[in-house]
Amino acid sequence: MRKNGLLGGVICLLLLLPQPLWASEAQEIITKVVDNLDGKTAVLEFRMEVKTRRSKRTMTMESYSQGHDRSFVKILYPRKDAGITFLKVDKAMWQYVPRIEKVIKIPASMMLQSWMGSDFTNDDLVKESSLADDYESRLISEDERSHLLELIPRPEAPVVWGKIIMAVSRAHYLPEKVSYYDEEGGLVRELYYREVRKFGSHFYPSSWQMIPRTPDKAGHETNITVIKATFDEPVDPAYFSKRALKRFSR
Amino acid sequence: MSSLVLKMAWASLARRPTRSLLVVLMIAVSLWGLLLMQGIYDGMTEQMISNAIRSDAGHLSIFARGYRLDPSLDLLVEPEQGPAQEVAGGLGNEGPGLAASLAADPRVASHVVRLRQNGLVATSHYSRHAEIIGVELEGEQLQGRLADYLTTGKYDFGPKGKGAIIGHKLAAKLQVRLGGKIVVSAQDRAGELAGTALRVSGIIRTNNMGLDENAVFIDLARARGLLGVESGVSQLALLLAKGYGEEDLAALQGELRAGWPDLAVSRWDELYPALMQSRVLMRGFSLVVSGLVFGVAGLGIFGVMLVSVLERLREFGIMLAIGAGLNTIRKTILLESLLMGLAGFLAGALAGGLSLLYFRRFGLDLSVFSEALAEFGMDAVTYAIIRFSYFSEALAAVILATLVSVYFSLRVLGRSRPMAVINKG
Amino acid sequence: MLLELAIRNIRAHGRRSLLTILLGAVSTGLLVFSTAWMDGSHAQMIRNAVEIYPGYLQITGASFRESPSYEHLIFDVERLSGLLAREPGVADSSPRFESFVLFARDEKAVGGMLTGLVPAREAAVSRLRDSLVAGRYLEKGDSNQLYLGKELARRLGVGVGDELAFVGSGADYSFAADRLRVVGIFQTGLFDFDAASAFMAKDYFDTIMAAENQATHIIVQPRDPGQAPELARRLATLLGPEYQAASWRETMAPLVKAMEIDSLFGYLTLAVIFIVIFFVIMIYTLLLVYARIREIGIMRALGTTPGQVLTLLLLESALLGLLSVLLGGLIGGAFAYYYSVHPMVFASMEEQFRQYGLAVSAIPAAFAPLVILRDMALMYLLLLLSTLYPIIKVNGLPPIEAIHHV
Repeated sequence: MRKNGLLGGVICLLLLLPQPLWASEAQEIITKVVDNLDGKTAVLEFRMEVKTRRSKRTMTMESYSQGHDRSFVKILYPRKDAGITFLKVDKAMWQYVPRIEKVIKIPASMMLQSWMGSDFTNDDLVKESSLADDYESRLISEDERSHLLELIPRPEAPVVWGKIIMAVSRAHYLPEKVSYYDEEGGLVRELYYREVRKFGSHFYPSSWQMIPRTPDKAGHETNITVIKATFDEPVDPAYFSKRALKRFSR
Repeated sequence: MSSLVLKMAWASLARRPTRSLLVVLMIAVSLWGLLLMQGIYDGMTEQMISNAIRSDAGHLSIFARGYRLDPSLDLLVEPEQGPAQEVAGGLGNEGPGLAASLAADPRVASHVVRLRQNGLVATSHYSRHAEIIGVELEGEQLQGRLADYLTTGKYDFGPKGKGAIIGHKLAAKLQVRLGGKIVVSAQDRAGELAGTALRVSGIIRTNNMGLDENAVFIDLARARGLLGVESGVSQLALLLAKGYGEEDLAALQGELRAGWPDLAVSRWDELYPALMQSRVLMRGFSLVVSGLVFGVAGLGIFGVMLVSVLERLREFGIMLAIGAGLNTIRKTILLESLLMGLAGFLAGALAGGLSLLYFRRFGLDLSVFSEALAEFGMDAVTYAIIRFSYFSEALAAVILATLVSVYFSLRVLGRSRPMAVINKG
Repeated sequence: MLLELAIRNIRAHGRRSLLTILLGAVSTGLLVFSTAWMDGSHAQMIRNAVEIYPGYLQITGASFRESPSYEHLIFDVERLSGLLAREPGVADSSPRFESFVLFARDEKAVGGMLTGLVPAREAAVSRLRDSLVAGRYLEKGDSNQLYLGKELARRLGVGVGDELAFVGSGADYSFAADRLRVVGIFQTGLFDFDAASAFMAKDYFDTIMAAENQATHIIVQPRDPGQAPELARRLATLLGPEYQAASWRETMAPLVKAMEIDSLFGYLTLAVIFIVIFFVIMIYTLLLVYARIREIGIMRALGTTPGQVLTLLLLESALLGLLSVLLGGLIGGAFAYYYSVHPMVFASMEEQFRQYGLAVSAIPAAFAPLVILRDMALMYLLLLLSTLYPIIKVNGLPPIEAIHHV
């Protein structure tokens, strides 16, 4: 709200200003959004529901993360999958499966495969937070409720999208809707963030929904509901080592 | 004497113009067909071999030992490494490096280095396995005229090396067009996931199936950066200079193996054994077909000569009676058939040679017959090959077929005793 | 009348007639056998490629072949199997569930295809069981036993008795993983297949992959494999729009095309050979007719019309041609039959075939009476055509000149 007044006052000036300021403003918003999503640290418990045309599955899992470079996920439910753990450190990803007692490094060729059967890919988990680094962002419009940003991948950034359009709520600087487009401008998938709740001092969207928009994935969607969340409390760094995969599996 | 024989031979040929012409025509047409077949089939196999050599194997390819079984960035060739030799305190690598000694070797026309790594190439809709191949375009052009394989786009990675040249089948599967973005990712040398976005600057069709389906050619320097490989390459491929042959290749291979025992030095036919087999099979096949054709043609000549001998038994009897030797008669008959054989050969060689010249220049578009050619690593347009041996071998075969058929005719002549024939007459 | 005369003439010139017949017969035999050989080798290559794994007829969910995802599975295997069992053209059928997984031994992971199948039924539709090189094939009641391709085993560094693990995604997109024990290793000779494929018994596979009563393919063994395309059409109507039924002609289209190319070159080569044969026969006919030129002249002088002479000569060559073709057909057919029963073995050509994804070393000829008859008819036509010119030419000579012809 504080910014609103400022912006209202200098709106005419801004129109005359060179593009970079718009860009850097957008960049600032993105950085803020990413920081708000990640927190300094975060411990979440969430439910993931994967719907396809003919089936519906529900899983619950907990995750520990520190910034956006390190995270650890453990599956709690269903029972047959309980104890499967994932570790992401920087750009590498490992998986531990108690049933086979094996740690597997996810190879490059699997990065674009679906994560746990959902509409998220392994790559989404690894790169989810590269929004600030890999894209040039630009404010395309704004109203009282939200900013609309356009993110164009930097020329060499290893991202497959042609562009991303992101609606950010001004209330909490959290994303509301992220649309992923291909090079030709075709919509590929949409990610909705809804139901912002207050967890401790932190506002956080407690419902995420990913909907693929390509014909071969018609009827698919993935819904994530945050059950518990704690932000900015110290997290045991032991979670972010390969040994954690096995150790915290139980 | 010999001019008399020639005159007699000519006269007897001219007396039966239809018959003689038919024999000449038979030889000519069959030779024409054979020459065409050989030149075009050879052209086809040699084109496939040349595609493999130009686009990948060179005449010799050098890898680190074990690389081909398990390609990894840990198994690299260091082009700067000198040959293994005994130095004080054991073995060492001194002297000029591998690349330098190849550059200095007159037998080597050119060599290129490539850094290869398996990975993934993706667009926003599709992702596929791919082989990322870091190359230096100038060197590749010098060695394999790689740019000739381009179907669309430019033979250029752009000023900042952000372009990629990809195989046409890969492009089709990714449904990516010229200028479209692709993201390649692979494990770098440290085992970390590395990725970068590139623009398709060219699409290539080498008819080397492995490359057309998997290859993403990128700038070598960029590949080094992406994969975290400061020095060393996966493959070094070299081309033999003009005028050097199989033996020089074997010698060079031996020397390289001795000098760099920790590297694997393979000839192109060791990398593409099926192609070498095609060549051998094709030769065998041509031989069998030529044998059949000349065998049948020989049968034709034999029939004509036999009849011509039998018809003239009386003449021969009279000639013998007036004192001409049996040898003269033999020579006449031999010359008759040789004249027909040579005439047929000349006509056939001329027609065949001219057609081959045409198809060498303009190529033969076999795709009219079958759309399937392209799917099997064959070029749609085949450029014929002309070898001197086609003609020399055909000449030998024609003469052989003639001699054999004359031999049998003369045996019949011997048995029928011409002198007795006039007496009966 | 003319026919009798023609037969008498043929018998009167016994040696010449025999020579003509032999020439025609050898040519016919050559054509018949070449065709039988070419067709046979192609059929064998296709048969091998088809029978090793893909099968003569595949049933899949509609549009599975275009986009092979879990969205287009067969969801009622039991019902389809029942339907197929009642279909008279179907000898056997076997369901498969193919799924792309990650095989892991230690930390090294290799992508590949893990397929659940019914061991006994699979043996009736493919040669998977016969491709065993070590250990044993799968059995009913097997659980985590794995039947692994030789090249894949090499890549993973495992042998019979060793353990490895896989992770993948079940039919309901759930997470699937298990430890597997190698019980058998197979080698089909198809390198890519051997380097990426592994199999396990479907009953157990289904519990891990949540794939009960589901399959990616049902492979059908037709009673008469030659009728596979017709059977596929029948099954497509029987099963309805939810399913696709495709015969090997569709699933193996590239291979069919490769054989087409090979035939093309084969026929081009035969054409060259037959041009020569055509000439030789023409020359021989010319010689034979000229040898009888005086006889023809006398006939003409005695008042036989040119038309009658022409008919006579044509009749003779037609009879001789018929005899040649019959004899040649018999000879060529006999060879074709012999080599269809006793295939030729080419051990050294395997690498060449592997380039086409084929694994063949013994090649039989095809013995197809209809094709033989076709070739005989073709040859008969060629023989008649080649005698036409000499006969007409001789017949054109005026009688007096013919009598005095030496």
